[in-house]
Amino acid sequence: MFRKTLIALGIMMLVAGPTVAAESVEKAPPPAPYKKVSELVKLPDFLPGMGTLYVDPATLPDGPFLAYDHAGKLVSTIYMIPLKDIDGHKTMDDLKAPGGNVDHVSLYYNAGHPGVEVPHYHVVLWHVTKAQEKLVEK
Amino acid sequence: MLTRRAALGVGGGLLVNAGFSDLVRAKSAELIEIHMKSDPGGGVVGFDPIGVLLQPGQTVRWVCDDNVHTATTYSPTNDNHSLRIPTNAQPWASDFLLPQQTFEVTLTVEGIYDYFCAPHEEAGMVGRLIVGSAVGPGALPFDYYLTQGHNWKSVPPAAQKSFPAVETILTQKIVRSSLNFSKMPMK
Repeated sequence: MFRKTLIALGIMMLVAGPTVAAESVEKAPPPAPYKKVSELVKLPDFLPGMGTLYVDPATLPDGPFLAYDHAGKLVSTIYMIPLKDIDGHKTMDDLKAPGGNVDHVSLYYNAGHPGVEVPHYHVVLWHVTKAQEKLVEK
Repeated sequence: MLTRRAALGVGGGLLVNAGFSDLVRAKSAELIEIHMKSDPGGGVVGFDPIGVLLQPGQTVRWVCDDNVHTATTYSPTNDNHSLRIPTNAQPWASDFLLPQQTFEVTLTVEGIYDYFCAPHEEAGMVGRLIVGSAVGPGALPFDYYLTQGHNWKSVPPAAQKSFPAVETILTQKIVRSSLNFSKMPMK
């Protein structure tokens, strides 16, 4: 049931994502109210596997987090959904998706980190191809 | 390697209940390193070793290998967590440690010291030290404080399941983590 819910969530995000990228978030830094996550909590500027993250603090913990590669190009939009919210059947409606076209979606478990200090799922809308995920691998 | 000592520039780490004679003794005692680990995706996290038997005056150094972690005692001064270190011991809370950063404490008060990683406590990242003998609040059931009228935070279920048994630590002296920190790729 839990896994089906996550898959459904990912599919809904993939289908519902806007088809035109907002110019203002394609390159880092995105405009206010987005802030660099590493300036909000103690995290490295660049997170291997994700990139450099920006978030509107008002949307924590869900996000969206905007992830950029080393060249400052937007590679993914990430939502961080606490497991307790999924287990509690919480509705998350109208999560913003400003990043434009979505190539594919990844969902994976994270045990927590500064800013989202509970076990949660990363729902990743990739704006680049699977092969281009290497842009943020290291 | 970066250390909290270098980062803070004030003598480094935290020397818990250590007088001058304790410091001298600590220098001659074996230093224990505990690694703070994670798989690449941040889904598997833990301390390794997860349980250690120490002698009074020994120093423990936490080394962050991956991800971001803390070493924080179960004590009311740390965000109202329940007391699970000796009543006359000084609690500690490291800052967030990034890879290659370290944090040290020297322990002189005998008893059980339960500690956790702040961002990963809910996921069960905890550790247990026994200094000398297995006494103090850490030897009591996790809910012992309820009958004493305290309004402390309870230890999360995943954390309760992760602690090595006191008897196991006393027998093995060093209890290694059973987690596989390399099994889960990022994607």
